[in-house]
Amino acid sequence: MPLSHRRGAQGGRDALATAALLVCLLLARWTGAQQVPRLTFAQLADSIRANTALSPSITAYGGTEVEIQGFIIPAGPPDLSFFLLSRVSATGNYCCELPSGQDEVVYVYSARGVSILYDPLRVYRVRGLFEAGRSVDAAHGVSLFRVRNARVEEAPGARIFKVGDPAPPVGR
Amino acid sequence: MTLFTVARRYLASRPVASALTVAAVALGVSLVIATALLSRAIREGFVEGATDFNLIAGAKGSPTQLVLNVVFRMDTPTPNIPWTIYRALRDDPRVDMAVPVLMGDAYQGFRYVATSALYFAQPPWRRRAFRLAAGRLFRDDPPDRPSYEAVLGADVARRTGLHLGDRFWEGEEMAAYPLTAVGILAPTGSADDRAIFLSLASFWEMNEISRAMNPKPLTAVLVRPHRLSDLPALHRELNVGPGTQGVFPSAVLLSVFNLLRVVEDVLGAVLAIVALIVLLYLFVSMYSATFERRREIATMRALGARRTTVLGIVLLEASALAAVGGAVGILGGHGVAYLGALLLAMRSGVVARPFAVGLLQPVVFGAVVIVGTLAGLLPAVMAYRTEVAENLAPLA
Repeated sequence: MPLSHRRGAQGGRDALATAALLVCLLLARWTGAQQVPRLTFAQLADSIRANTALSPSITAYGGTEVEIQGFIIPAGPPDLSFFLLSRVSATGNYCCELPSGQDEVVYVYSARGVSILYDPLRVYRVRGLFEAGRSVDAAHGVSLFRVRNARVEEAPGARIFKVGDPAPPVGR
Repeated sequence: MTLFTVARRYLASRPVASALTVAAVALGVSLVIATALLSRAIREGFVEGATDFNLIAGAKGSPTQLVLNVVFRMDTPTPNIPWTIYRALRDDPRVDMAVPVLMGDAYQGFRYVATSALYFAQPPWRRRAFRLAAGRLFRDDPPDRPSYEAVLGADVARRTGLHLGDRFWEGEEMAAYPLTAVGILAPTGSADDRAIFLSLASFWEMNEISRAMNPKPLTAVLVRPHRLSDLPALHRELNVGPGTQGVFPSAVLLSVFNLLRVVEDVLGAVLAIVALIVLLYLFVSMYSATFERRREIATMRALGARRTTVLGIVLLEASALAAVGGAVGILGGHGVAYLGALLLAMRSGVVARPFAVGLLQPVVFGAVVIVGTLAGLLPAVMAYRTEVAENLAPLA
């Protein structure tokens, strides 16, 4: 086979290999995105011990990326750079269920704000770095659970788990 | 002679047509720029002007009306709530700060906002800083001894010409209760610049109805809890009560943003049609100009000009028209946005700052030049294909 043909064939194989590698990387990234552990409000509420101490099973998630689903309570500025994520909606469930307190509220921070179509009756999926444990900051006061660098999207058909519900699925 | 010189001379040889094409492009670009700048500025104006208090307690009714009136001084006040609501919130152990607010009359269009000195307090969670440019705050006087002192927002002082010590009122009824300007606030970039602040006692005494009322009326109470996680419970308690509602101001503004987004989508479609019309206009202008000068092009070709040279000249003309129109349009768009923001500030409490230089301007300019050049492509190809012999034939 002439040298130029061999080089051409080799180039084609290299291009194919690069493309395959890229696809694998994208798939791995996509799969990784899907494997973010999901925490539920049931787990958060169950983890609270005396004197606002938390169970090791929850504190183990500290510093890792997690997903939590809940209702948005826009307690901060309207760009949603800070808001509360709650098991109970800011309007809907009030007819039949008392709103939860610190046990079932997550403080969510997003550096660049969040651009979503806000609906108080819609469940949103929040992903970001999880922090567990009592913390006080001047702007937002005392909190137990926080998610930082949050990304928010709608979670249509999502179910909110509360204390007493069967164990939630791990991951998705 | 360079291509640029030839293109420039061709454009100069038909000044009216060239000016009209530039004007059409500039108008289209102005519309796009002004709409983009204003919609962003309005959104940012709402975000900047939003209150630092997380919850507003008011009378049952429209949450939007309550927030627009109490925070942005727009719309009419909601019905009154009794002072006892404020007292209950103030004494609630979950509440860090509760500030009573009573909205009412106006002086030269600037709303009176009766409140307590707490409104200007500076706890660590507060983003907005109140600073006095001159004078002092009004006294938190007891109900039986109103001081009739007023603190003017920065815009109020500037536009009414009121100074410290000036006494003012509007309307015959108020002549018996003139207010005295004792302080002027530094600009805050919010609706507070357009408000006249006074004590609740002064306001109650100035108004014939509230003078006789017991308990005294309020429009709203601004609430900040110690723990934000108590907000849902406070919100619920206010809403299940027979006469009150609790509103998250940001929730109302997010609903306004949802509406704005719909308007932006519709405007986007309209602007796309406008852009298409401008593009067609540019195309027709270049096409007719090329058609009219077939003979000149044939002469140039006969004198040795290459086909690509002719193509380049027409494309340069189109891109020059688009570039000048784009530049004028971007400047014009900023002017329109500025006027719009001024109008908005005069008629509402939203302070919009439309002059944000970012990616918008270079992206729009680049897109206009590229699309404008593309609009000249077909006329340029037509010029490229001009037959010399056919077009240099005797005219008669």
